[in-house]
Order: sequence, then structure tokens, then C-alpha cells
Amino acid sequence: MLAAPEPSPDPSLSETDANQTFDALIWALSRPGIPRGLPAAGEARIIRALLDRECRAYSADPLILPEIMRTGAQIAEIDAADHVFLGALQDLAPLDRIALGSDLYPDDGATVVLRGQIGQGPGLRLSGPGIESTLTVQIGGLPSGFWQKRRALIRYPMGFEIFILDGAAVIGIPRSTDIEVL
Amino acid sequence: MKLADLTKPWEALSYGFLDASAKREMRRKMLKSIAVPGCQMPYASREVPMARGWGTGGLQVSLTLVNPRTRVKVIDQGADDSVNAASIRRFIARVAGTPTTMDTLEAGLIQSRHRVPEEILRDDQVLVLQVPNPEPLRSVQPNMSIARQMHADADYGRMWLQLYEQIVRSGRVMQGASYPSLVHGRHVMTPSPIPRWDVPKQHMARHLTILSAGREKRIFAVPPFTRVEPLVFSDVPYKVEDHGDLTCTRSGTRGYFMNEIPQNDGTSAYEVSDSEWGVKTIRAAEDGGETRGETWYKDGKMS
Repeated sequence: MLAAPEPSPDPSLSETDANQTFDALIWALSRPGIPRGLPAAGEARIIRALLDRECRAYSADPLILPEIMRTGAQIAEIDAADHVFLGALQDLAPLDRIALGSDLYPDDGATVVLRGQIGQGPGLRLSGPGIESTLTVQIGGLPSGFWQKRRALIRYPMGFEIFILDGAAVIGIPRSTDIEVL
Repeated sequence: MKLADLTKPWEALSYGFLDASAKREMRRKMLKSIAVPGCQMPYASREVPMARGWGTGGLQVSLTLVNPRTRVKVIDQGADDSVNAASIRRFIARVAGTPTTMDTLEAGLIQSRHRVPEEILRDDQVLVLQVPNPEPLRSVQPNMSIARQMHADADYGRMWLQLYEQIVRSGRVMQGASYPSLVHGRHVMTPSPIPRWDVPKQHMARHLTILSAGREKRIFAVPPFTRVEPLVFSDVPYKVEDHGDLTCTRSGTRGYFMNEIPQNDGTSAYEVSDSEWGVKTIRAAEDGGETRGETWYKDGKMS
């Protein structure tokens, strides 16, 4: 009889990275508006933790593309992509084309990752699941009218999730969050 | 791009049993299920060395979330020492090298079948519930394509009708476990077969709950501070089991969910369902050391 392979109780480096990154993402998305630290700055860790050959990804930032291609994910147009990396967003036009999923399959809505500045810029009042009553945060570096546009696009349960990266800090904004610009 | 970038060192078995692509799929679906609380998301549900229906859905979530510092607690009907709970706990510890515990307060991740612990969970804890039947509409609509359309339309009239019929026929709601609950005012979910006693614990809780059905290949979640409202009529209030006055025959604790143990003379004895709560109560009585945390129910009433 063959001996069963011994399990490895020590995770590999990539596994540890992905686990920590996902831990930050799930925590951030469960508690919208509260920043959480990723193991390292930038989109690369998120890409490695989430993307593989079953994904279609779009990136507005060409510097991220090699990292996406390394995962085997298909590079797609923005409206066909389930993961959208917008980098530092300049104008609102790309938002119109982001996949929202359907009422039947809300999970087809995209996950959007973009860069911003946490603690600067306009104040936002957040409410919804994950927030006890309301929470006020400042998120800068996004084009003006971004949150109004998001509100106009999302028809819950259709919509998309946003992760805002500022260095190694990440804020998650699920589609269920109501945002009022102060 | 170099060949070395595309490969990884050989491993006898992936950390945490699941391979990396299975974990990535779980991660993507967990994020989506948190974004739309209570909405059932389909997922692949890989093979694990356990029969479907024995907690494979919960196990896949746990194996994706754990790292060597996650302290794992597994319970089955409230008990840490039942065969299913002990096997799952040992399996996770073996393939992921995690420390284990029976103490709710020490645990980072709690995988559970059919109970929510009595002690209040904190925001750094994750509760993973095993779900046998994730579709609350199945009893009123066996066709799952139509049921999905009903969820899309928030068409829950038949759920209300079912509750109404139970009240008319029996004088009360007959749903003992998996009481249908409206999450975030939009999706009706089954909270898994937890007793009615445990449903209010999900409402505006501090912890994240992930519910995963391995056999049915669906996952859904209740994020922290999310409204979970059992379906009730405004003139027929929601009732939990009448366990508030019962005393555990083994530990003497009172006012928690009990297991009924039929006796030979036709009467019943009761023992507390959350086994570790009972153990802590006995220990506190023996040596006076208090290790019990705050509970959701105080004096048999939800606080």
C-alpha cells in the first residue's frame, strides 16, 4: 500500500501572501470604509490572490498587465471583464461599461480595483451592511462625480464592488453600501 | 516572463488540502457573497476527503481562510466532541497546521453545524455554517430555475403563504429550524438548520458569517451589522424555543438552548446544547475561575 502523502503544515510563500491578502480583502469588504493593510502595496497581491485562468480581466494601467497575464487570466474588454483594474482613474467614462451582473446572477458583477487617497478629499457618509450606523471617511484622488455615478449605475442586487488602494491600505466598498457625499 | 515564474516548488500536498485554484475560486465567491448578503452564489465545490452532506461546504471555506495562526473550533449541534466535529477539527489541524480550541472566545474561526455558540462573537471571529439545503424556497418551489427567478424578483409571497398556512393549521409557525429570514431587506435566506433560538444572534452581529452548502454548491454570507429579520406577521411575533426556564441537569446552567433527553419514565431531562458553555459552567462552579464570556441571551432572554 502506498503511504499517503504527508500534508505540509507550512504554507508556501505564495500561499501565505495570498491568504493574508484575501484576509485583508474580505475584512475590508465586510466592513466598508475601514482601511485594512495588505501585505504589500499595489495590485499585484490582489491579482495573485484572486485571478486565474477562469477569469477575464481588464486593466487600464499597462504596468499591471504582465502580472495579470502571468495568472493566465484572459485579457478582456472592460464590459466583459469580471475583474477591472482602473489604476488612477482620470474620468468617469470607464464606469459606464463595467459589468453589473443580473438580478438572476448578481455574482456576475465585476470587482473593480482602483487607486485613491484615503483620508484626503471629499467626505463620504457610508451606511449599509458592515456598518453599525454610519461611518464617515475621506477618499480622494477620484474624478469628481464618481460616487454619484456609482449610485446611478448600481441597481441592487446588480452592481460592482470597489477596492480602493492607497499604498498598502485597502478600503472595500461593496454594492450594498449607501454613500452620501458630504 | 521566465519559466521559473510560472512554476512553483514541488509540494506533496497543497497547504490546507485545497489547491490554489480552488482557493482562488472560493475567495472570489466569498467576496461576492459578502457584497450581496443572503444571496446564494454558485461555486464549484471541490472534492474533499469527506462525503458531501457532512460539512464539505463549510470545510472548503475553512480551508481557504485558515493560516497557521488561525485557532479553529468546530462544533456539531453545539458539541465540540461529536464525531463529525472532532474529525473535521482534526482534519483542518492536520492539513493546515492550525491550533485548535474548544473555547468560543479563543477561536478565530468557528465551523459549525446547526448551532451558533451562546457566547457573543467578536469582530475578529468568523463563523462558518454548514448548510444542507441553501434554498429557502424549495418547499414552495422545487424548480430551482424558477426559485432563482423568484429571488431575482424578490417574489417571496409563497413564503408568507406557507407560514400563514402553518398558523391556520397548527396555531403556530411549525418551522423549527432553518427559519426563513430576510437579509438586508432584500434576499430571503435559510440561516442553515440552526434553531429559532439562534436566528436573532445573526441580526446586526459583530462577526462575519459565511454559509456554505457543499453538496448544493452554493455559498452565501451575512456580513457584520447586517439586518437579519425572520419572516413574521406583525400580529404573530417571532418566538424562540421555550428554553429560557430550563436548567441543564449536568452543569446547572440555566436560560440557554437545551438538548432534550427522553427518560425511561416518559419525562425529559435537559442538557445545555453548547457543550463548552456547560464545561465552563462546571469549571466555574468547581474552582471559581470565571472563563465565560458575555452571552447573547441573558436570563433566557435575548438582550
